[in-house]
Amino acid sequence: MPETVNDYLLRAGRLPDGGLRFVDRGEQATWVGWGEVRERALAVAAGLLGAGAGRGDRVALVFPTGVEFFAAFFGALLAGAVPVPLYPPVRLGRLQEYVSRTTRMLAACDALVVLADARVKRFLGEAVAAARPRLGCRTLADLPTGVPADSADVAAAAGGGPRPDELALIQFSSGTTVAPKAVALSHRAVVAQTEILSGCWSDREGLRHSCASWLPLYHDMGLIGCVFPALARDATLTLLPPELFVARPALWLRAIGRYGATISPAPNFGYSLCLTRVADAEMEGVDLSCWRAALNGAEPVAPGVLRAFARRFARWGLSPAALTPVYGLSEAALAVTFSALDQPCRSGWYDREALAEERVARRVSPGAHDAHGAHGAGDAPPGLATLPDRAQEIVSVGRPLPGFRLSVRDPQGRELPPGRVGRLWVSGPSLMQAYLGDPEGTARTLRAGWLDTGDLGFLEDGELYLTGRAKDLIILRGRNHSPAEIEQAVDTLPGARAGCAVAVSWLPDGASGEVLALFVERSRHATPAELAALPDACREAVLAATGLALDRLEVLAPGTLPRTSSGKLQRSETLRLHLAAKLTPPAPVTPLRLARAAARSGLGYARWRLARRREGLT
Amino acid sequence: MATDILNGIAEVAREHLGWEGPLTADMRLIEDLRLDSVRLLTLAAEVENRFRVLLSETDEAAIVTVGDLVETVRRKLA
Repeated sequence: MPETVNDYLLRAGRLPDGGLRFVDRGEQATWVGWGEVRERALAVAAGLLGAGAGRGDRVALVFPTGVEFFAAFFGALLAGAVPVPLYPPVRLGRLQEYVSRTTRMLAACDALVVLADARVKRFLGEAVAAARPRLGCRTLADLPTGVPADSADVAAAAGGGPRPDELALIQFSSGTTVAPKAVALSHRAVVAQTEILSGCWSDREGLRHSCASWLPLYHDMGLIGCVFPALARDATLTLLPPELFVARPALWLRAIGRYGATISPAPNFGYSLCLTRVADAEMEGVDLSCWRAALNGAEPVAPGVLRAFARRFARWGLSPAALTPVYGLSEAALAVTFSALDQPCRSGWYDREALAEERVARRVSPGAHDAHGAHGAGDAPPGLATLPDRAQEIVSVGRPLPGFRLSVRDPQGRELPPGRVGRLWVSGPSLMQAYLGDPEGTARTLRAGWLDTGDLGFLEDGELYLTGRAKDLIILRGRNHSPAEIEQAVDTLPGARAGCAVAVSWLPDGASGEVLALFVERSRHATPAELAALPDACREAVLAATGLALDRLEVLAPGTLPRTSSGKLQRSETLRLHLAAKLTPPAPVTPLRLARAAARSGLGYARWRLARRREGLT
Repeated sequence: MATDILNGIAEVAREHLGWEGPLTADMRLIEDLRLDSVRLLTLAAEVENRFRVLLSETDEAAIVTVGDLVETVRRKLA
């Protein structure tokens, strides 16, 4: 029984189909067996050890999807170090945002060295100069060579293989410039998660599962969800670079069909992008009937997108049972719940008022509803045409995976019965060890073996339904962002009231994905010209600082945003008020209000009467 | 030539990014066209498809405006 990720690597490569297939933009594939990955990783490990890296040192990795990422990732592990996969720069511009984010992440994980792709390396200069990792930034070719790279030699030089309680990797739970959260995962946690996932795809009846993915390798669903189970099962993983998927989503579906992938995950955004950017002509000859598990997680699942995707791609053999909503978070290594494989997913319609006000899940239609019925995106089921006004459709994300437990709790931490909406806590074998360098954050999140997910939801028939988030977190296209980085972007704009902005995101009914909204209070001294320019200025500033486009923007009167008694802005309350159309400014200065204020003193009242008479108001 | 390229990029922006209205060389991709990272990727890919060129990371780091993109494509086609 393997105890560490290193164990998986050392025993992989025995089966002929065990390895990585990289698909490029011309749809040409390059095959690299797990045995070759191991050889390359051993060379990197020897180089790292030669350069002075050692046990527990953090090795930051900045690579596009390709074999070098794997050589570097597993090389760090074989050297006894801890790999920290980071985002490579995206295309066109955005360099400043990228540099500041990378600098923060390098500091947060206390990186000893940055290993980077040769093309990426020249963009890292500023971040590396600011974070100053001791061994600098190197390409794999820059590492010392000539050291014999035998696995026994490397293990001896690394001081023996890692123990299960040592760190296997660090992943960032939100790609933020403000407060990056470095999630530290032990080998034990990663192996536990890998075994659970591998158990979901055990080979049987002549079916050999294989996975295809375009997800980035610095993302938990891409790395832990796709790479490790393939390695553990000595199976095939077909990979497309994420930027290729965004440019031409059809290549994902074509790769699934061509290579007979049975498993392929994506966040809701990926399915939604296929609906809008895949042309029928690109699907000619594609057969998706091999696709057994189209896992949908990492961001809230939109029922309309599920339905529309199932309906649109049924023509190319997609089984409606393939769509599988799931739930997880990087703090739990990845997956916590799965809906039933090989069965259509389930959803229910719930009374919106009851969910929001009473915090009770009250069904407004009898029984579970098949989310794949013959309805279009956002359609209500037959006979329920009037429902959406007072009902909200929520998709089940399924039951806890083996070893996991769910607990829905009230704000005081008491467990709530099924059907009551509360804060979701989870326990299981793959929880993180800590947020690196953040003991307070860790203590808030991990308590007595339970993890506070910060998500809101309820249980029904043992299945989990998510209703929103209690924690302040923006989730867009499968990536987490801190609201603070969006709010700070508009802080110093002329006409904006400094420190009085709130960013929230949520999944509206019938929408294809989460929308991002920013609420900004205007300054009391704003000139009309500043106010006129403020909305555009806000959109620009947020894009420039974060790369995110605002879907909604509201400029509000000073004092409109809800605050705690200590004056702190309340994000979730802002969203609640906005959705209830109750986000209104404090009572403005009207004659009536003046009258009330004036009436507090007789003298003032007399003056007010006098003034009104003069203005001819009485 | 530069005008043809600009018109081509304008068509890409209309077709794939839903950009309505005129496109001029001085417009900035992020601030003026309001392109987030996914849309920047889309623009880069579709410009490559249309003009049959390959952009590289070095080219792209310097691209801030529509004019920069036009100039990069023009150099590649030359």
